[in-house]
Amino acid sequence: MKTTTEKSAAIDLPRRVAIKHAVALAGAPWVLRHAHAQSMDLGPYQNAKINWRQAEGQTVNVSCISAVYFDNLIALTPEFEALTGIKVRYDKVPPGQIRQKVVLDLSAKTANISTHAADPMYIPLYAANKWTEALEPYLNDSKLTDRAWFKPDDMVEAWRRANMIDGRTYGLPFMGETTIQTYRKDLYDAQGLKPAETFNEIIANAKALHNPAARMWGFCMRGMPGAGQNMYIYPSIFRAYGAKWFDAGGKIQVNSPEALAALEWYVMANNSYAPQAAQNWNWPDIADAFSQGTLASYIDGSSAAPVLTNPDRSKVIGKIGYARWPKGPSGNRVGSIWNWALPINAALPEKARHATWLFIQWACSEETQARTSFKWKGPNKRYDVNRISMWKNPDYLASISTAGHNFINATIDGMTLDSDVDWRPRVPQWPAIGETMAKILQSTLVGQIKPKQALDDAQIQVERIMRGS
Amino acid sequence: MKPAERLAFAERPERRFALAMAAPGVLVLIVTTTLPLLYLIWQSMHNINLAMPGMDRFMGLENYERMWGDERFWAAFGFTLIYTGSTVAMQLVIGLAMALLILRIPRAQWVFRIAAILPIVLAPVVVGLFWRSLMLTPDFGIVDFASRSLGLGSHNWLGDPVLARVSVIVIHTWQWTPFVFLYMLAAIAALPSDLFEAARIDRANAWRRFRYITLPLIRPAIIVVVILRMTVALSAFAAIYAATGGGPGTVTEIINLYAYRVSFAELSLGYGAAVAVVLLALTMLVAALLFRVRREA
Repeated sequence: MKTTTEKSAAIDLPRRVAIKHAVALAGAPWVLRHAHAQSMDLGPYQNAKINWRQAEGQTVNVSCISAVYFDNLIALTPEFEALTGIKVRYDKVPPGQIRQKVVLDLSAKTANISTHAADPMYIPLYAANKWTEALEPYLNDSKLTDRAWFKPDDMVEAWRRANMIDGRTYGLPFMGETTIQTYRKDLYDAQGLKPAETFNEIIANAKALHNPAARMWGFCMRGMPGAGQNMYIYPSIFRAYGAKWFDAGGKIQVNSPEALAALEWYVMANNSYAPQAAQNWNWPDIADAFSQGTLASYIDGSSAAPVLTNPDRSKVIGKIGYARWPKGPSGNRVGSIWNWALPINAALPEKARHATWLFIQWACSEETQARTSFKWKGPNKRYDVNRISMWKNPDYLASISTAGHNFINATIDGMTLDSDVDWRPRVPQWPAIGETMAKILQSTLVGQIKPKQALDDAQIQVERIMRGS
Repeated sequence: MKPAERLAFAERPERRFALAMAAPGVLVLIVTTTLPLLYLIWQSMHNINLAMPGMDRFMGLENYERMWGDERFWAAFGFTLIYTGSTVAMQLVIGLAMALLILRIPRAQWVFRIAAILPIVLAPVVVGLFWRSLMLTPDFGIVDFASRSLGLGSHNWLGDPVLARVSVIVIHTWQWTPFVFLYMLAAIAALPSDLFEAARIDRANAWRRFRYITLPLIRPAIIVVVILRMTVALSAFAAIYAATGGGPGTVTEIINLYAYRVSFAELSLGYGAAVAVVLLALTMLVAALLFRVRREA
């Protein structure tokens, strides 16, 4: 008798264990979410006077890139799901392909992507095709938005305006950055140099420290061709020289004398003081070179700070200083405006659009920005939150104080004083114009073509693009 | 009924059955390849520009006329020919030489066979990135280090217009020569040894044995491998995209990359489709010519 029981128990054991595991597995997500939901503090969100559960059961599909700010957001998403009953699915796409992938979905109206990390320079294209929704009806609907809680005007103004066409908003900035000078404070101090206030001082500083034989280059800018690569940095120089993208008659103009002077300066500065490889470099390459101690200064986005202060990779921690964009010959400082904005796909049914809006409101809200930055428990903090009030919040400022000397002031000045919404031509044809200009800039940089000839060629091509033939 | 007719009659149900069995496959093929191709041709005759909504229209052959005067297209066309011609020739010469050499090694040939497979199984985009960042970066890359050590100095391998072209050709050749090597190894190893013995008795030297025995016998294999390599080189994309993005400027832009840029960066889908149709025609033309050579062989 005993033996039989033992035997049956022995046979049954694996099966029982298996069943137990299966139950545990099936129940796990629910149990986890439930346990998590109880430990979650949803109070700050529930202070908003809207019904967060009005689109319960919907699914929001988000295309984003792989970056600290989105990774932190993804980790917090169970809180949103518990708050709203909406499911969120993320699809991470490399930054080089996200625009093409999204344009395919939007133009085919397949509505596979509810919202995505949008390049503000694509907003004119979206608006012209009515691919994404104007957000005012959502912002102004008290059922959907508690303006007093959400405080949309607290988001950095330049970044908001970069996503507006004819006074209407097509996306809200989830994060953003501005262009600043980054330099080796230790080397500058040793030689008594000050961060550059003018373009001439950039060159003077670069000259003083440039010594390739000792693996130290003076200065660097992006050389890689692309609408978001070399056409990220050249437009700032273009505007700082006083050039305008459109003439008085509204005709596009890329070969003005100011544009030529800007291009000549760009080519001279990069070819004289940057490593030769920089002709093909994008910002991560520049940040790597700087963090390896081979660059004395460079001008690029503020969001590279985490790379420069990463203890595993950087050799220059504690030696970094930051400053505003120097003044160009026209007296203007023109930083970039960059943010990943979140729009709503217009091809979605109404209920799904509402769910998407709730997601955007949650992601861009002060509380979520705080939870993904200074309240974040993990090692990766954010240096790029979207709200002015947070850039005055001592807790946030303490969390980014490790970036280096003057990072906070340089960045705040950059995004409030030095940002120019029309830094690049905001037209639906931007993707083609950006690509065309990028190719021409690089041909000039490598010496295939002279700057004057290059811009005259560019003018012909850009005019053709604007005609649409 | 004549015997032949009787045979045909008997075969009829069988043929019908065969058709029925093949139909699903044929249908899938039509839906997944023929229809998209026809759609591509239809698109190439339209003005479809996503940046200009509301201006879509039928324009016949206008896109093709525009291509006629498009300098960037002809530059891409020219480089596509250089790229395809030089990479295929180099793969063939180096691959064949390696095969002949390694067949003379009495032991451990398998080591070379396995080593040869490695580049082939890598994704081209990985190959492009690997060459761009590890091998060719001035001041930091392995090739540049070798060049400096040999006293040839540091060069901007992917930034200089001439060197960039050489570099993308070398990258493609590096990746695909092993394929030709393995193919040739198999072809030569299968040749009857008595012919070579007879030639040796007749005192034919190594060059003559190669020129008059090996080469004619492996000619069909050479033509097949050239067809395979040509079609791949003509449609190459990922390695160049990752290594240079077609740059500096547009010097390493092949037709495929240009069609991609026009369609997905400039959003001019109609013109992009026309460029793609021309590439398709070029590939089919080259393949047809080579098949003809093969039949005559």
